[in-house]
Amino acid sequence: MEIDVKNLHPLEVRLLRHVVLGEPITAGRIVDELDYKVGQCNQAFSWLSAKGYLVEKSRESRVLYELTEFGREQAEKGTPAQRIFTFIKAEGPHTLPEIASALGLEKSEVGSAFGQLSKARCAKMNDENKAQSIADELSGEFLLTANLLQKGFQGNLDESALDADEKKAMGKIAKKRGAASSPFKVIEREDIVYELTEEGAQAKEAVLKANITGEELGSLTPEMLATGSWKEGAFRPYGLNAPTSRLIPGRHNPYGNYLQWVKDKLCSLGFEEFDGSLVENEFWNGDALFMPQFHSARDIHDVYYLKDPVHCKEIEEPWLSQVAKTHEDGWETGSRGWRYSFDHEFTRRQVLRSQGTVLSARQLPKAKIPGKYFGVARCFRYDQVDATHGADFYQTEGIVLGNDVNLKTLLGLLKMFAEEIAGAEEVRYVPGYFPFTEPSIEVHIKHPVLGWFELGGSGIFRPEVTKALGIDVPVLAWGLGIDRMALMHLGLNDLRELFTPNIESVRTRRGN
Amino acid sequence: MPKIETTGKLFYSLLGKTINDEQLEEIFPVAKAELDGHEDDLLKIELNDTNRPDLWSAAGIARQLKAYWGTEAPLYDFFSTADETFLSEGRELIVDASAKEVRPYSIGFAAKGHKVSEDELEALIQSQEKLCSNFGRKRKTIAIGIYRSDLITYPVHYRGADPDTTKFIPLGMDKELTLREICSEHPKGREYGPIVSDSKVFPYLHDDKGETLSFPPVINSAHIGAVEVGDENLFLELSGSDLHDLLLAASILACDMSDLGYEILPVKVSFPEETAFGREITVPYYFQEPISCTLSQVHKTLGEPMSGDDAVAALKRMGIYAVYDEDTLWATVPEWRNDFLHPVDLVEDIMIGYGLENFQPEMPQDFTVGRLSLAEELGRKVKDLMVGLGFQEMMYNYLGSKREYVDNMQFPAEKCIFISNPMSENYEVVRPSIIPSLLESESVSAHASFPHKIFEVGKIAFIDEGENSGTTTRNSLGFLASDSVMGYNEVSSIVNTLFYFLGKEYQLAALEGDGRFIEGRCARIMLGEQQVGVFGEIHPAVLENWGSETPTIACEVDLDLLMN
Repeated sequence: MEIDVKNLHPLEVRLLRHVVLGEPITAGRIVDELDYKVGQCNQAFSWLSAKGYLVEKSRESRVLYELTEFGREQAEKGTPAQRIFTFIKAEGPHTLPEIASALGLEKSEVGSAFGQLSKARCAKMNDENKAQSIADELSGEFLLTANLLQKGFQGNLDESALDADEKKAMGKIAKKRGAASSPFKVIEREDIVYELTEEGAQAKEAVLKANITGEELGSLTPEMLATGSWKEGAFRPYGLNAPTSRLIPGRHNPYGNYLQWVKDKLCSLGFEEFDGSLVENEFWNGDALFMPQFHSARDIHDVYYLKDPVHCKEIEEPWLSQVAKTHEDGWETGSRGWRYSFDHEFTRRQVLRSQGTVLSARQLPKAKIPGKYFGVARCFRYDQVDATHGADFYQTEGIVLGNDVNLKTLLGLLKMFAEEIAGAEEVRYVPGYFPFTEPSIEVHIKHPVLGWFELGGSGIFRPEVTKALGIDVPVLAWGLGIDRMALMHLGLNDLRELFTPNIESVRTRRGN
Repeated sequence: MPKIETTGKLFYSLLGKTINDEQLEEIFPVAKAELDGHEDDLLKIELNDTNRPDLWSAAGIARQLKAYWGTEAPLYDFFSTADETFLSEGRELIVDASAKEVRPYSIGFAAKGHKVSEDELEALIQSQEKLCSNFGRKRKTIAIGIYRSDLITYPVHYRGADPDTTKFIPLGMDKELTLREICSEHPKGREYGPIVSDSKVFPYLHDDKGETLSFPPVINSAHIGAVEVGDENLFLELSGSDLHDLLLAASILACDMSDLGYEILPVKVSFPEETAFGREITVPYYFQEPISCTLSQVHKTLGEPMSGDDAVAALKRMGIYAVYDEDTLWATVPEWRNDFLHPVDLVEDIMIGYGLENFQPEMPQDFTVGRLSLAEELGRKVKDLMVGLGFQEMMYNYLGSKREYVDNMQFPAEKCIFISNPMSENYEVVRPSIIPSLLESESVSAHASFPHKIFEVGKIAFIDEGENSGTTTRNSLGFLASDSVMGYNEVSSIVNTLFYFLGKEYQLAALEGDGRFIEGRCARIMLGEQQVGVFGEIHPAVLENWGSETPTIACEVDLDLLMN
């Protein structure tokens, strides 16, 4: 059997070194001979038994008497009865209150002790109602008690070691429960007799061979450092694979970390972050993006409407007039428009933001040229909630404004996203369709883990979008579907898990 | 996005050859199409362009792909124009003024010479459905009926009829119903009746002998309107509110049917008053205007210099005939398309026809400075502090139920933003605070070892009459801690530490009448006269509502107010 002596605690080591094969080993012995506390002894027994080094041979019960704090005080100063007797013998008769105050005892204690003295005919109350001694010395029972207290001071008393008188006296001054006001506490103990096993004997050999004494230093303490006592000992090597305890640290949310990483990446690519309100109106959510008011994606089954207020107060001018005119006949954008009568009430109807592109539209009137902007926007869709649809979710969107941006720079931008953000191995572009961009491009990537998938949609904003919002340069618009990659990073496959309220599952989620 | 199904047999015969799925996927982007599935002989195809209804049929997709391959396009020589009108040989549709208030336009054309097969009839019905539901906004602006031309005595009449005295046997039933009864008793009536049921008169289509064709946009008659496999002569009628869209839909159907082998027969439509194309229009009618753009605009948008010949060749591959003169490119819009609103629409077709793979990606040259928003920067600082204080960052949904945000929290409903068309009562309210989100964690995490210390930096929104929208969205910090011993002192100490490191000196003021907290053990955090947050011991009644049996503290701080 392989014995790793490093896995032995000093209490085990010292015990092993002390005992030999075949002899009975009891707690009493070990406490006496190795100066262990009972608790330490029991721990050593339990560990060594678990390792198979000790085996239980038999059990015996015994009763021990342990001196209490109260008893310890009496052992030092004498019992109240002793002290009262000595006092009145030396100082003459005194009233009980005088005695109490002279000896610093409670009146009740004096009362009960005097009762014992008078019962044993050692003292009596005289005519002046003062206590006086009537014996030369205290009778045997008081001496017995005092004697027991002195013996108890040396260590626990074993019932089997007391004679009949002592047992009788002990019965009056020991209690099993509520012993704080009694001199002795009764401890009932079952003593187990152990013996060393063959393996235990081998362990002992190993300990001796390794020259481990159990006296090696354990935890380094401030005292050791202060006194320099560490210099006189060797440090006990610890078992390196001892079980560790679970710590619960303060932590960032791994999904939040991923979004932060994406934001940092976009910043590093020269994009400035924008943000906005969760409540939008039809104007910015759709009209400004040149989606006709009758567009199928603007249906009651796609967008959440506000119950109250149903409409916003006003839409910013001149954007409202310009956008409305663009829808109707193209205004000055070069378009023929959608040829319908723009509804000025519908445009004020309030919705929960349904697409991140709203923020791009809102940014246009105040954008710098050249400029690059992005946003990670919480959006809301009228969808059944399941593993691939949330009631609300993040969309990552942005725009690039510049005199010289075009399809080829759009492809370059998408390639950069594909490589920098998605770690794509291959990139493929296909024509796409979005109501607000022309041309429109979808970018598909080959991801090292996820394989081919659509990373995002993009395009060049239609002049109907940009001109109506006061921008005369081309604007590249893009959106990235990063949730699939987020799930992969977090080792999840259900979108609902990204926003789980379950504390344990967030605490243990690692993320990459 | 429209999805269609077609048998491979029909599709490949239209295509003129059979190709495998891999080849289909390769070529489909030209039509912005995706192969969604292929089981047995059934192809499922998704079309991404909602402005190209001509692609929502097997014939339309095949037409686009064949053009790309360079197959000479068939001559659709049945279109009348402003300059040339084909004779309608007595086939006439008369639109009466009485229909104006309910559904002003109706047009039609006829087809003959081909016995309709089962998969063609299915394809035809599918085209009709896709055009009506997606392009025609669920029959609101376009409804299409297909009839047995042999049974019709021309002219056909379209008028507004009295809904209570006009009756006929609708398709799918065996008794006569009035138009109004159809709206309540026929399944199609219940679905599409509401489009017209508010009117005094309902649209009604009948022939010259008074035989019913249909009650547009609801249901055909069981006799003339019951087309079956093997029928050879068909009449198609389209009713609606927008003449351009109707004419386009008619053109698409006519081209599709021509591709299937039909001879298309024109129908003269007379209107009670002038339209954009006159009082009489012979349908199918080519109404599209030519579209032009400059080659310099093509260069600017696509980033690639392109010769006139290149652009013309690219457009030809898209089925578009074009010519150029110096810098200007002129294109004739195909009969089946009307999606050229702006010259950029032509540029996109040039891009697709030229081949996206022929454009080399280039990096944008402009130098710009990247920057996080102020809210994000402060949010990160706050998150780091909370993590340092031992808190776990959580992230929650922003939609929830009234029970969670109002009832459980003893929080006033009038401060909350409600959705008028919720899909479920579980997602009906925008959260007005982060605290209920944190308490939801408590309600599902009794098994997670204590103490619980969680927080979120996120958005909340609530009613604010001073704003244009009547609501406000705020960046907010919420945190919560719970344990067998947890109380006001703990939360106050955390607030104190947080504000120290945020460099804000605050005072505390009593918070009264807030049912979320125990009265006398909660406070308002004040920066001068302004309240920026609240915290305290969560009221046991609230904990009970959430099913939590652990003492809990919570705090919420408006981060937007800390940014000044």
